[in-house]
Amino acid sequence: MIYILEKKKLDQTLQDWSSKYEVIAPQFVDGVLQFHPVHPNSELALNESINTRYPPKSLFLPQSEVMLRYNPKSNQLEDVKVLPEERIILGIRPCDAYAVTLLDTVFITEENSDPYWLARRSSTIIVGLGCNNPHSTCFCTTVGNGPFNHEGMDALMTEMDDVYFIEPFSDKGDALFSGLPIASEEEQLKVKRHQTQVTESMTIAFETENLKQTLDNLFDTDFWGKISESCLGCGVCTFLCPTCFCFDIVDEVQRNERVRNWDTCMFRIYSQEASGHNPRPTRAERTRQRLMHKYSYLPDQIGKIGCTGCGRCVRYCPVGLDIRAMLRAASDFESEVIHAG
Amino acid sequence: MPDNGHNPYEPTPMHIIRAYFESNDNSLKTFELTFDDHKDCEAFFNKYNPGQFCQLSIFGKGEAPFGIASAAWEGDFVRFTVQKLGSFTKHIHTFKAGDPIGMRGPLGNGFPLKDWKGKNLVIIGGGCAFSTLYALTKHVHHPENRLDFDQLVVIYGARTSGLCMYKHDIQSWYQREDIEIHQAIDVPEEGWSHHVGYVPDVVKEVAPSPMNAVAVVCGPPIMTKYTLPTLVDLGFAPEDIFISLEKRMKCGIGKCGRCNIGSKYICKDGPVFSLAELQALPADI
Repeated sequence: MIYILEKKKLDQTLQDWSSKYEVIAPQFVDGVLQFHPVHPNSELALNESINTRYPPKSLFLPQSEVMLRYNPKSNQLEDVKVLPEERIILGIRPCDAYAVTLLDTVFITEENSDPYWLARRSSTIIVGLGCNNPHSTCFCTTVGNGPFNHEGMDALMTEMDDVYFIEPFSDKGDALFSGLPIASEEEQLKVKRHQTQVTESMTIAFETENLKQTLDNLFDTDFWGKISESCLGCGVCTFLCPTCFCFDIVDEVQRNERVRNWDTCMFRIYSQEASGHNPRPTRAERTRQRLMHKYSYLPDQIGKIGCTGCGRCVRYCPVGLDIRAMLRAASDFESEVIHAG
Repeated sequence: MPDNGHNPYEPTPMHIIRAYFESNDNSLKTFELTFDDHKDCEAFFNKYNPGQFCQLSIFGKGEAPFGIASAAWEGDFVRFTVQKLGSFTKHIHTFKAGDPIGMRGPLGNGFPLKDWKGKNLVIIGGGCAFSTLYALTKHVHHPENRLDFDQLVVIYGARTSGLCMYKHDIQSWYQREDIEIHQAIDVPEEGWSHHVGYVPDVVKEVAPSPMNAVAVVCGPPIMTKYTLPTLVDLGFAPEDIFISLEKRMKCGIGKCGRCNIGSKYICKDGPVFSLAELQALPADI
């Protein structure tokens, strides 16, 4: 079933939601496209072909988050409120919604679920927005995803002309739109055709079929040194990555808080041990960790590639390093050095 | 979504009941911790398996992982031996009996004791990494547990006699008939009557039989690097050699990302791996 929401009625819908939910959607704030709470005068930016600079993972795993608050005299813990209210995130792109499901496999497990992640996940409804104009840096179809993939969404909006066609994928998603008119069979076909057309217009950026094996074969080679020569080690590729989840835990003494902050495998100190030993002493090993985590280790652990093709690491690398080129080079390097040798 | 209401990042309130230096240079200090709440004690010992570790937590200073050095039957306490090395361990060395401290754990898999039933155990340790092997040996020493295993050989090396840990207890092992103990120091010292030399050489010299045996190795990287091939030369299969690993850690529950070797997390899937498992992983250590 597909609902029809006329664009001119979006404002009214947002207003209706706002009585029950906090609504968060992409907007230009300080000149940067980002997820931001929607207020009566907010101007949503749902038509951009470029995705938000920060991925919406920050709405579930904030860049800095208080885990525990303690009384330094008594050593007792004080309550930390995790989440204020039920919320709707509107306009998440398929790459980012899918990324949230990949992170679920890390944070929600039988043995130890992360209560902070879990609280935010359970109180959030995700209404995604398909991509009519994928950007040149996007490569979602290469990694098994797509511009209208709905994994991780409670509902998917497809914009066509002056309406949003809305496909619900959960009861919560359905409840948000259930009063709206339903698309005719012809309209539904039109939507599907459009989705297929856009999906097929995207080119494949690199081969993924034997990629894991290729990277595993390259583990002990100088391939990693070669591709990371110009890397500055700034970590922006990981901080802005929707599937990177590494964090550090530190005590903020002046605030009496134990805090977790985003961390990155691209920093030396990330794996530096107290003895002085570091298993990843140079950018070569750290680049290897970043790429192999997504294209070898996660496939091992959950059977899925840990990259959703959002293209942020390509767009924001200050020296123009491109993960797509790196992975194409991996296959070339393997045929030249390993198989030829 | 599974939610048992438990916050795995929240340290269990503990306090120190005994704290004493373990080495003559005061670089190693042992702490015995007990539980403020008996319910936590029960929960801990329901899960505890030798070879596991805990995150010790001091609010304002942070957390760091340490191997557990005591066996469950020793009493309602948990023992750790801490080497003074970084800022956290420097601070913890100032702690004394009565001081409160936080603890998260037991974490990790521990030794696969069920699979080792009926086997000979060859326990090989070097330096302060011997702590979890001490817990293993103490576990096996309990009369009920002793029946689960056949012969017990312990090889333990330290740089100097002054750095040998758990001295008085280990001295008493020489009187037992159910354990063969070999201690070694790196260079000769006056009054030292045991082995002199590096652990891999002592292993070669003692030459424990691989027949119906498993070998457990824990020590500094250089020691394990040379001990593992020595064991293979002696005829131990990679499936029968076990090693306990360490890496920088934060969460201890497989979420913060940093302690992976390939697709395995040392904190969650380890810290104990068989050599066969390790050989299947990339050399990211």
